[in-house]
Amino acid sequence: MNIPLLSLMTLTPLVGALVLLVLPRDRHGLIRAVALAAAGISAAAAVAVFLVYDTVRAGFQLAERLPWLPQIGIDYALAVDGSSVVMLLLTGIVIVTGVLISWRVDYRPKDFFALLLLLVAGVYGVFCSTDLFFFFFWYEVAVLPMYLLIAVWGSTNKEYGALKLTLMLVAGSILIWIGLLMLYVASGINSFDLFRLQHITFDPLTQSIAFLLFMIGFGVLAGMWPLHTWSPDGHVAAPTAVSMLHAGVLMKLGAFGILRIAMTLLPEGARIWLPVLLVLATVNVIYGALSAMSQRDLKYVIGYSSVSHMGYVLMGLASLSLIGTTGAVLQMFSHGIMTALFFAMVGVIYDQAHTRDIAAFRGLICTMPAVSVLFILAGLASLGLPGLSGFVAEFLVFSGLAQAQAWLFVVLAVVGVAITATYVLRLIARVFFGPPEAAWRALRDGTPLDVAAGASLAFVLVAVGLYPAPLIGPIVGSVLPIVRRLGGVE
Amino acid sequence: MVTTASAWLLPALPFLAFLLTATLGRWLPGQGAGIAIVLTGAGAVLWAPLLGALFVEGPQLYQPVWFTVGGDALHVSYIVDPLAALVLGVVLICSTHIQVYALGYMGGEARFGWFFAVVALFTAAMLGLVLSASLLTLYVCWEVVGLCSYLLIGFWFDRPAAVEAAKKAFITTRVGDVGLLIGILLLFRATGTLDIPAIVTAVQQGAIDGGTLTAAAILVLLGAFGKSGQFPLHVWLPDAMEGPTPVSALIHAATMVTAGVYLVARLFPIFEAAPVALAVVAAVGLISAAGASLLALVQTDIKRILAYSTISQLGLMFAALGTGFLPAAIFHLTTHAAFKALLFLAAGSVIHGTTRQKLDELGGLRRSLPVTAFTMLAGAAALAGVPLTSGYFSKDEILLGLLDRSTLLFVATLAVSALTAFYTFRLWVRAFLGPDQMHGHAHESPAVMLGPLVAFTVPSLLLGFLLFIPFGPSANIIAFLAGETGHPPAQYAEIGSYYHAHHEATPNGLVLGTSAAAALAGAGAAWAVYRSGARIRRRLPGAAVLERGFFIDALYRWLTTQVVMRLSAFFAWFDRRWVNDAGVNGAGRLPAVVGGALRTLQTGNLSTYALAIVAGMALIAGIILWSGR
Repeated sequence: MNIPLLSLMTLTPLVGALVLLVLPRDRHGLIRAVALAAAGISAAAAVAVFLVYDTVRAGFQLAERLPWLPQIGIDYALAVDGSSVVMLLLTGIVIVTGVLISWRVDYRPKDFFALLLLLVAGVYGVFCSTDLFFFFFWYEVAVLPMYLLIAVWGSTNKEYGALKLTLMLVAGSILIWIGLLMLYVASGINSFDLFRLQHITFDPLTQSIAFLLFMIGFGVLAGMWPLHTWSPDGHVAAPTAVSMLHAGVLMKLGAFGILRIAMTLLPEGARIWLPVLLVLATVNVIYGALSAMSQRDLKYVIGYSSVSHMGYVLMGLASLSLIGTTGAVLQMFSHGIMTALFFAMVGVIYDQAHTRDIAAFRGLICTMPAVSVLFILAGLASLGLPGLSGFVAEFLVFSGLAQAQAWLFVVLAVVGVAITATYVLRLIARVFFGPPEAAWRALRDGTPLDVAAGASLAFVLVAVGLYPAPLIGPIVGSVLPIVRRLGGVE
Repeated sequence: MVTTASAWLLPALPFLAFLLTATLGRWLPGQGAGIAIVLTGAGAVLWAPLLGALFVEGPQLYQPVWFTVGGDALHVSYIVDPLAALVLGVVLICSTHIQVYALGYMGGEARFGWFFAVVALFTAAMLGLVLSASLLTLYVCWEVVGLCSYLLIGFWFDRPAAVEAAKKAFITTRVGDVGLLIGILLLFRATGTLDIPAIVTAVQQGAIDGGTLTAAAILVLLGAFGKSGQFPLHVWLPDAMEGPTPVSALIHAATMVTAGVYLVARLFPIFEAAPVALAVVAAVGLISAAGASLLALVQTDIKRILAYSTISQLGLMFAALGTGFLPAAIFHLTTHAAFKALLFLAAGSVIHGTTRQKLDELGGLRRSLPVTAFTMLAGAAALAGVPLTSGYFSKDEILLGLLDRSTLLFVATLAVSALTAFYTFRLWVRAFLGPDQMHGHAHESPAVMLGPLVAFTVPSLLLGFLLFIPFGPSANIIAFLAGETGHPPAQYAEIGSYYHAHHEATPNGLVLGTSAAAALAGAGAAWAVYRSGARIRRRLPGAAVLERGFFIDALYRWLTTQVVMRLSAFFAWFDRRWVNDAGVNGAGRLPAVVGGALRTLQTGNLSTYALAIVAGMALIAGIILWSGR
């Protein structure tokens, strides 16, 4: 295979965005078709990467490298390991369904889809860059379009949400950039290459400081408490597809950064700071779930639920065990699919009802059966129902914590699941069941496109829940060396 | 040729039915109900040769791999031993008959096909639970049966009470499941495996310290008590009666609620090694048996009476387990499934024929509903423990175990028996005797409903005699459950299955006599009090406490609204007021000025934006180049 799959995947959305720029702005059909084609090709490439990746051999594969600024050791370098492969698959699924759900965007669709594609190019780039300079570059490409997407196409309090989100994430980026420069300077090898930096043992002080910088910087994007507050507001303000990508994929960049850069390069720093991360992550779980219970806006519930579920990701990373770390990466995938489904269905409801007030709804399942069933399925996944992907991921995280003998955290984590069940079922009972309100008789079920998008996400939830082995295999291969270097439980 | 290895077919068949009915149901005749019944029935037909295979091969364990993490393989292992085999039969036979009944009872419902789809899924998951030899798959099935229970209680989701009851059932059992999951994780940490046989072996070799083992066992019990409606997690079960009556019969009487009993039985070697936990099993069981029989006295809804009686009977099963007499618990589980399913189906027939279910509105139905009256009488006799019925003999086995341990507990349980007989016959006498409250407007149910009623009458009356006849190669049913099937004990030990030779199965005269006396006294008292159909105006002291269910519901309501919801409101407020407004906006004053400038760029002009990114990158690269010199 000589096709540069990773470049094809990463650059196609970029090319798609450029093509959109030259298209006339009133050819909506053509614009959508181009956007879908770009998203589809990149997703197909992501699937191909997943299929081509050799789990048995493990390690980084499909490497591509072009010198970019050799004087200071910056290369355009791409390669994937098992975790990247799984995250790329997630990105492909979410962007395609996101484009489908955005079919009815008719305010400046050209700019909307161009920004969306730009954003997703950044996401692909982060997941497969092995040069830290480009890692950071793509990270910014993924984060910045968010501002415009929310401020222009958003709803409820959108300027505030967009501004807060951008400022907090950029502040996080600054810390990350400082951390990267620290490592670059401290390594003394004049290189941003992940593989070369991996062989350097940084002195303990550098490790400690850099890890903290990364933990906070990436933590902001991962929704780590107490730096999470951009997330519920951002989700509420964002248009549907942006919420899907944002909660579904973007928040994972933060957790992925901690795993790929901080935990890989700074084992000493990890040993110092991971216990702190574990505590914060546990706060995420409980605090997010309890806060979600009192929300009145559907999107706020899901926003806080994302904060809570990202807590499980961070707990898994901090568990210092192979099983827990594997669970963390699987949870990133699972939560990504689940939350994308949530936001997609809320979007369908909001577009017709023009409200997301939980108290306003009742008995929606009678008027919108497909949308309701899909939403309920996402809800069941979020409360950790076996048979759906969330259960496997969370069970692995719990087992990892148990192996590490962190019993207090095991108990809190499991209690978090019970709280989740409470708010999810309350919400479902309130919004979808009960006698239908007369006011909502006129609501229509989702369009075939909406339902197709939702059903594909739901299918992934079920498929991974029943047979997670194809995802777990590659993940284990990629986190094993990291956990081993950290001296964690295998 | 059926072997024990093909046991996976039993859950696979109804699961297939679920898939077909759920996806293609709307295009199938009868919305796919027929498929569900035929495939479940096929499982029931397969069950007999499977039992035969068990007699030949002895207990067997199979361990296919689900997925592996590093060196740890997670299995979907399944076990076929006497315990599993008998309960499989109970589930299959009950499910098949109750589905046939539902053809009539649910006829004309808008979501007829959905009902059968979920019942098929439930049946598959319940069979999977029974076959599981891995805590992981067991937990998976455990949650899926809970989901089906949730969906079926809330089947009429346009009724607020049903929605509320469904939610309550799920959340209450989830509270117990927190314990179960942590208990499973404790066992996993202590033994490094989730396979029950390996865990049992580790326990028997003393590889787990006593404290951990006791903690794990008690945590697992929380899950069992939640699922089986034991005090103080029983509150969801009476409310679950909001579901359609066939669901109450299948899930909330005969099968799912017995999963807790089954779980303890499956992990019995662990409990044997943790005497404190075993004592908890007995204590909670007896408290539930007594408490629920008291609560049943004041109920007026026929289904709620039966629900409390289920809690009470499950309590007796736990008491049997707690005294170490596992076969008695499972034997009672079996007879209870038959007569309780019968009682619920009969109650359903009453509701179907009268559209009423309050005792105050019923009476004198014996003429208009003769078949229902007769079959329900058989069920009531078995529940009350009237001599020679199935309930009489299986309850006597439990009493036998209790008598071995303590005379006091034995006497207390006799009192529970008398109470049971009283409230059961109060129900039957008030519904069927006395003056006709319906003035001839009640009608008997169609044959498709009466058939299963009559079918359940046979085991309700006769199952007890399994105590006196050989069961396959075993001397009787108790010996079979104890593992005396002619296969070497080592074969049981190897797969962590229960084996206990020399269980005394013959009830002695003292037990037989006192138990018969208690049942007849209770039933006679009810007949004497209620046969005239006159209202009892005088309220007994303490009735208020019973009507409020010992205030347990009120306590939970207070906990949820006053504690949990207030805590939640506090967190939500704290997040807004302090973390966001003070923490972020406050800190954001300065950047907000910058942000104001940024806002002017909000033109949606992409090229400006792209230019800015490129310029930024160039700047960064420049700085690095410069600093790298």
